[in-house]
Amino acid sequence: MRHRRSRSPLPEVRLDGVRFAYPGGVEVYPEPGLTLALGDGVTALVGENGAGKTTLTKLLIGLLRPNQGSVTVAGVDVASATVAEMARIVGYSFQNPDDQLFERTVKAEVSFGPRVLGKPAEDVERGVAWALKACGLQGKEEVHPHDLGLSERKWVAIASALAGEPKVVVLDEPTLGQDYPSRERLRMLAAQLADLGRAVLVVTHDMDFVGESCPTTVVLSHGVVRYAGATEKAFADRSMVDDAGIQPPHVTALARSLGMSESVSEAAFLAAIRW
Amino acid sequence: MAAGVGGARRHRCAGRGVEVSSTALVLEGVSYAYEEAPREAVSDISLTIGEGEWVGVTGPTNAGKSTLCLLAMGLAPHFFGGRLKGKVTVLAKDSRSVSVIERSSEVGLLFQNPFTQVSGARERVDEEVAFGPECHGVARPEVDARVEEAMGLAGITHLAARHPMELSGGQLQRLALAGLLAMRPRLLLLDEPTSQLDPAGTAAIFQVLDGLHRRGTTIVMVEHRLETLCEVCPRVVAMVAGRVIADGAPEEVFNIEKVQERVGMPVFTRLARARALPRPWPVRLRDAASAFAKSIA
Repeated sequence: MRHRRSRSPLPEVRLDGVRFAYPGGVEVYPEPGLTLALGDGVTALVGENGAGKTTLTKLLIGLLRPNQGSVTVAGVDVASATVAEMARIVGYSFQNPDDQLFERTVKAEVSFGPRVLGKPAEDVERGVAWALKACGLQGKEEVHPHDLGLSERKWVAIASALAGEPKVVVLDEPTLGQDYPSRERLRMLAAQLADLGRAVLVVTHDMDFVGESCPTTVVLSHGVVRYAGATEKAFADRSMVDDAGIQPPHVTALARSLGMSESVSEAAFLAAIRW
Repeated sequence: MAAGVGGARRHRCAGRGVEVSSTALVLEGVSYAYEEAPREAVSDISLTIGEGEWVGVTGPTNAGKSTLCLLAMGLAPHFFGGRLKGKVTVLAKDSRSVSVIERSSEVGLLFQNPFTQVSGARERVDEEVAFGPECHGVARPEVDARVEEAMGLAGITHLAARHPMELSGGQLQRLALAGLLAMRPRLLLLDEPTSQLDPAGTAAIFQVLDGLHRRGTTIVMVEHRLETLCEVCPRVVAMVAGRVIADGAPEEVFNIEKVQERVGMPVFTRLARARALPRPWPVRLRDAASAFAKSIA
């Protein structure tokens, strides 16, 4: 698996002609269905409310099953796997942490996943310790999750997704309610996971975070992939960007107003202006 | 974002004619600790917000921002218990003497998490929006008119027949806002009102808020996205660890070093600082554009 770091030809996540409709009849991905392949590293999934972003992430872990088409994650056909089996491969943190948290202490919550997956005690211990540290929860192990504020509960949910050391990590709106230091921690965490060869999919409306932290971007709009590729070029097609209900990062807007080349991160902007 | 919103600055304290000097929210030496909490969530806060103002509140995790909203609504201490010191006056009435149900006819609080706001008792979006006015005994034709107006403002008319629990996070946030607007409050307390909305939806909601502000509604809004905050709010209150550390126009507040260190600053300010542009550093896109243009020239 080491060779993945040097751009394995095998994508970690693959959707082929996926169609899905909710029981009420709301169809998420129109004909001919959603097709998308993602490698390792950090990918942002952006698009308007109701574009089908959260639905896509739930298909990856088997919480939702496609009506048509196939979903493959880390070489496993999701159709033939149980949610529990997928939970070994995909770490998932929900948009609303309260959908996810139920244990009495932060530590019990974070270790619940790897424990029920039957991982050896030492693996559980290592994964949990790493996740707590990476999520800034050291010293809060014995606190009841519901005594924490929303942004810290969000971190508990993220730590829970990471503790089982999954190959693929899905974070739904991780920046929600996060202050600047927390967003910085999240940026470093994403980079660290990418270095470990994991595939990280971040659903977000925070375009500044996308520009700073996600080298790859997928723009989904009305169930259709409008863009998939380097984040530097994701905002260049302005009519597509408007259609998809997104906006470029603030730094990109500033670069444009100065007639500079498109910068999506603060570092790129400062490098471009320093001639 | 907020093209067309920046004009809000001109309307500070406007909108109610001769009543400009009346206050919407006054905190005098207020400290509050939750039941069994070892430390205070807010400590010795004194703050006056005039009717018709639009004030942004920001600060890192555990600054006391949400608690400030709960105090202004009266949920702290009426619902949460705990220990309140000092005096909270909302629309000229002491919060200790006004029940939350009474308060909810003139003050609306949008919770940080919209999932906690919906009643759970209604099976359609329009019925959920009607819940507040119905509970207050508003007559049917008036309820219907308010529901229609509120759903229109929040942009959820097309979702009227859907079940609230089937909505996406962003749709639910709009529903929660519609429920508040149907109460036609004089004071709106918004705890990160657009956190789950896409940028286009965020801009649309800020336009609605701008309209309400122009008609005299007082808005107190917790917001982490500092660029948005500076764009829409004429006044910013920065909080850290339960205390107010700065209060003023955004360009003043985010040029204070202590605020920059402990609360952070808009992207534009950070870039200007990194590039060592002359002070004061810009907090908004248009100011940043002219400051950088000068530095390049």
